[in-house]
Amino acid sequence: MQLFLLLFFTLSLYASEGEEIYKNACVSCHAIDGKSSNNLAFLVKPRKLSLTILRNQQSFAITKEGAHFWGAHSDIMPSFKYLLTDKQIHSVTDYISKTFNPNIEKKIAKLMQSSQQLTLLQRENRLQLGEKIFKKTCALCHGIKGDAKSEYVSASKENKTFIYPYNLTRTLLDEEQIFLYAKYGGLYWGTQKDNMQSWSSRYNDVALKSVAYYIQQKIKKLD
Amino acid sequence: MKKIVLAALLISSSLIAKEYIVDQKNKTFIPGVLNVKVGDTITFTNSDPLSHNAYTDDVGNEFDIGMQKKGVRKSVKIKKAGKFEIRCAIHPHMLIKVTATDK
Repeated sequence: MQLFLLLFFTLSLYASEGEEIYKNACVSCHAIDGKSSNNLAFLVKPRKLSLTILRNQQSFAITKEGAHFWGAHSDIMPSFKYLLTDKQIHSVTDYISKTFNPNIEKKIAKLMQSSQQLTLLQRENRLQLGEKIFKKTCALCHGIKGDAKSEYVSASKENKTFIYPYNLTRTLLDEEQIFLYAKYGGLYWGTQKDNMQSWSSRYNDVALKSVAYYIQQKIKKLD
Repeated sequence: MKKIVLAALLISSSLIAKEYIVDQKNKTFIPGVLNVKVGDTITFTNSDPLSHNAYTDDVGNEFDIGMQKKGVRKSVKIKKAGKFEIRCAIHPHMLIKVTATDK
């Protein structure tokens, strides 16, 4: 019984530390409710943490190294590794996951389950199909190597529409998450810009799963 | 004689290929439906500040105009009859439904 109380007390402290850090370090952009509905939101366009596709350990990685390290163009979401210890980062990302997005694993599993499953033949051919689609569509923004260097990005600077696609060579999303992100688009997963649109009206699940497989196998360099 | 000239003019005008202008505005192809004949031309214009694209994989009519910046015009010729779709490779919702018939 005493051990149980001690464990409960320790966990409560851990949770409150995370909440404390969140209120000090994260609220100014992500807001108290994790929905980024605050005064700075229109400027920095932070993600809505209540909708993020990230799993807890991925939130830890982003918070520790910053979004730029993982492929974002900007470093508006900075690295906190010089400000917080790993234990502190764990406590704040635990708080974020449990408070704002506690069902992400179930949500991912459910969406995957309801998606079209690949046949054996489709699984065998997915690399070729994924490559074809990637080069036809994804590469226009993300670049042929997935490193976010493309003619379209250069043109967006000239015409001042400023598109900043992710550097997919550094993404920490796994294959399932890449598929779901492409299928449902950025807004669905908490971004405030519609630059990465839902591709479900253009490609079916088989095609999008093939693209995700191609990105996982041939584009991603970090794992 | 006048009747012959008039008839010749009418026949030749029906044989002359037409040009259809499709604008890209607010991430939409305008118009979104085209009824064309083989030999006609579709010219794409871009009124959006951002760049667009137009392509089709329809066998016999395949084309890809590449990246199209604002103000640039690009044309393609219809080569084969049939129904097919033209899309923008950058913006997945942009779509033209084309019906092409023989002359």
